[in-house]
Amino acid sequence: MGIEEITRTPLIERVEERLLELSPGRLVELVGEPGGGLTRLGMRMLAEHSRIAPVVVVDTRGWVSPAAAWEAGVDPERLVVVRCPDPQLWPKVTAALLEGVRAIYTEVPLRFREQDIRRLAALARARRAAVAMRSTGPGLPGGVAHLRLRAIGVTWEGAEQGHGRLGRRRLVIEASGKGVAGIPRIIEVEDEGTDALRLVSNVVVDQARRAVG
Amino acid sequence: MTGATPEVLAAGVTLGMPRREAEALATFATILERDPGEEARRFEQVVSAIEELVPRVEPVSPGLLYVPVDGAVRYYGGEAELADRIAKELDRIAGGRMGGDALVGVADGPFAARWAAASARVGEPLIVADTVAFLSGLDLATLREEMGGDEMVHTFKWLGVATLGDLANLPRDALASRFGNDGVLAHRLASGEDRPVDPREIPEDLTVVMEFEEPLETLDSVAFAGRVLAERLSRGLRQKGVAPHAIVITVRSAQGDERQRVWRSADPFSERSISERVWWQLRAWVEGPGIPGGIAMLAIAPFDLSGEGRQLGLFSDESNLAETERALARAQALLGPDQVLQGRPQGGRLPGERVSWSRWGEEPAKPDRDPSAPWPGATPSPSPALVLDRATPLEIEWDGGMPSRVRLGSRWEPVLTWSGPWRLTGQWWNGRPDADRYQIVTSVGAILCVVSNGRAYLTAVYD
Repeated sequence: MGIEEITRTPLIERVEERLLELSPGRLVELVGEPGGGLTRLGMRMLAEHSRIAPVVVVDTRGWVSPAAAWEAGVDPERLVVVRCPDPQLWPKVTAALLEGVRAIYTEVPLRFREQDIRRLAALARARRAAVAMRSTGPGLPGGVAHLRLRAIGVTWEGAEQGHGRLGRRRLVIEASGKGVAGIPRIIEVEDEGTDALRLVSNVVVDQARRAVG
Repeated sequence: MTGATPEVLAAGVTLGMPRREAEALATFATILERDPGEEARRFEQVVSAIEELVPRVEPVSPGLLYVPVDGAVRYYGGEAELADRIAKELDRIAGGRMGGDALVGVADGPFAARWAAASARVGEPLIVADTVAFLSGLDLATLREEMGGDEMVHTFKWLGVATLGDLANLPRDALASRFGNDGVLAHRLASGEDRPVDPREIPEDLTVVMEFEEPLETLDSVAFAGRVLAERLSRGLRQKGVAPHAIVITVRSAQGDERQRVWRSADPFSERSISERVWWQLRAWVEGPGIPGGIAMLAIAPFDLSGEGRQLGLFSDESNLAETERALARAQALLGPDQVLQGRPQGGRLPGERVSWSRWGEEPAKPDRDPSAPWPGATPSPSPALVLDRATPLEIEWDGGMPSRVRLGSRWEPVLTWSGPWRLTGQWWNGRPDADRYQIVTSVGAILCVVSNGRAYLTAVYD
């Protein structure tokens, strides 16, 4: 259970411990193309909160599957999926949820108003709600997110030219923003389909690029 | 085990027994999941029948009903006569079956009456002449529900207090200083100083009413209106800083008939429990006798208000839970009831089949398929995080029967590796042909697709 750091240096230890957590009042942005594993990572971030209170996933396309969230450790009895296909309603619905929900993972519609995002971030701070926003488009306006996690590569193990099955995923992420003290870092997350994630530090950019071919 | 038929009880099964033990004793029995909504619906006929004899009855939960008997005793000529009438009425409802199982107790106050009923024998109502003497012999565990758990009961027992009589003999001041309000409440109940059943006046301004130009006829529309109204009532109560011990639910049909029901709780109702009682009652009315012409007006009135509210445990997160429920209710009001959902595991071979959806706040739908059963050929974990609501055509280039490129959006991505095909046997009788599943990995991620009749479809994304 939880995040296991297998290689790290004392200098970066404090930063890394919080990288894959959702803290009250903080907004984490997850940005990258679908398929990289960010939805699962976002749901994993809800797992700890679901031990205490209900958590919410805002699904703008009607595609989010709670089965992945359960595997990531989210309590099925405390997971509520709110489907919001109308981008006009999304800011209102998200604001209503921020008023009372402890932790939210929300997809961001492709079209949004910058001022809505800034208001939602302010509301999350005021209500001390933990929020992960998953954007598949260009990303959120600058300075809104406390931490920005951008997927830059993904590799899978287990499937070999027709044999086996998907097993372990390695997701290479660039972390930036105030959450890493303004110094962008590259991290690698291993996911074996359970509620445990393995955070591997000090992955250099060259390796990451080679990993994605 | 919370309930059983006489045949099962005759086999040696007792209420409260673990399920496995009960199954071993009564191998012929069919085990059913508890369904409070259905219990409330069935209990409604009992409530209605007794209400014909005595007005203003107060259902506490499905199966437990308080009846204020002061006036009725004079009318029917005595407690025994009234208890007899009630037993006969219950016999009439279910041909002797239900009346035969019902337990009736008469005492001063709801707490003593409840345990009098629990001590009564089937067909022999227990009429308590001396409530204090009756209570004094009861085990302290009878206070468990009123005390909100076992903690205080265990403490009393550890102090050598075994019965309610022992507790009543202790000085109330000492209990107040050691246990606070809960100690005083326990002492009052043990001493037979219970609250009256009769409700207080209903404050006019807290009653919430909704009228419908188009009468509501379907259970879905009624349930949604009930939830919205319950939320509105809770908001008003919150603003006043009070919580009700009872709520009155009233509906008026399109033809002008009015029905009313009182629900009571020993603890002040929480927002969730108000919502729950409203849903039970409306379901009971709509699915039971029906509302002729649909519901034209729905009202909920709180009464027997408590300014103290429910005392929270030290580590209880109940206030946060109430905030969460309000937030979800607002989202539901914005989006409609079908968009705020909870999923629960169920069996299936495809990722989309493994989730049983139900509306948030309503009783969960019973899974169609057992999730613990083996599902040979099921798509293995990890589960894809995105499952498309309908399969979307996907372009794949094949090279010697192996996928070589896949079109994602406007660009072609080379296939780095893949697994499959896994055959999914179709249902020819439903027009569903056999299909093959593939997990395909590209540089941007992994997808799950299905190939059927030579065409490929995207079904899920491992995002």
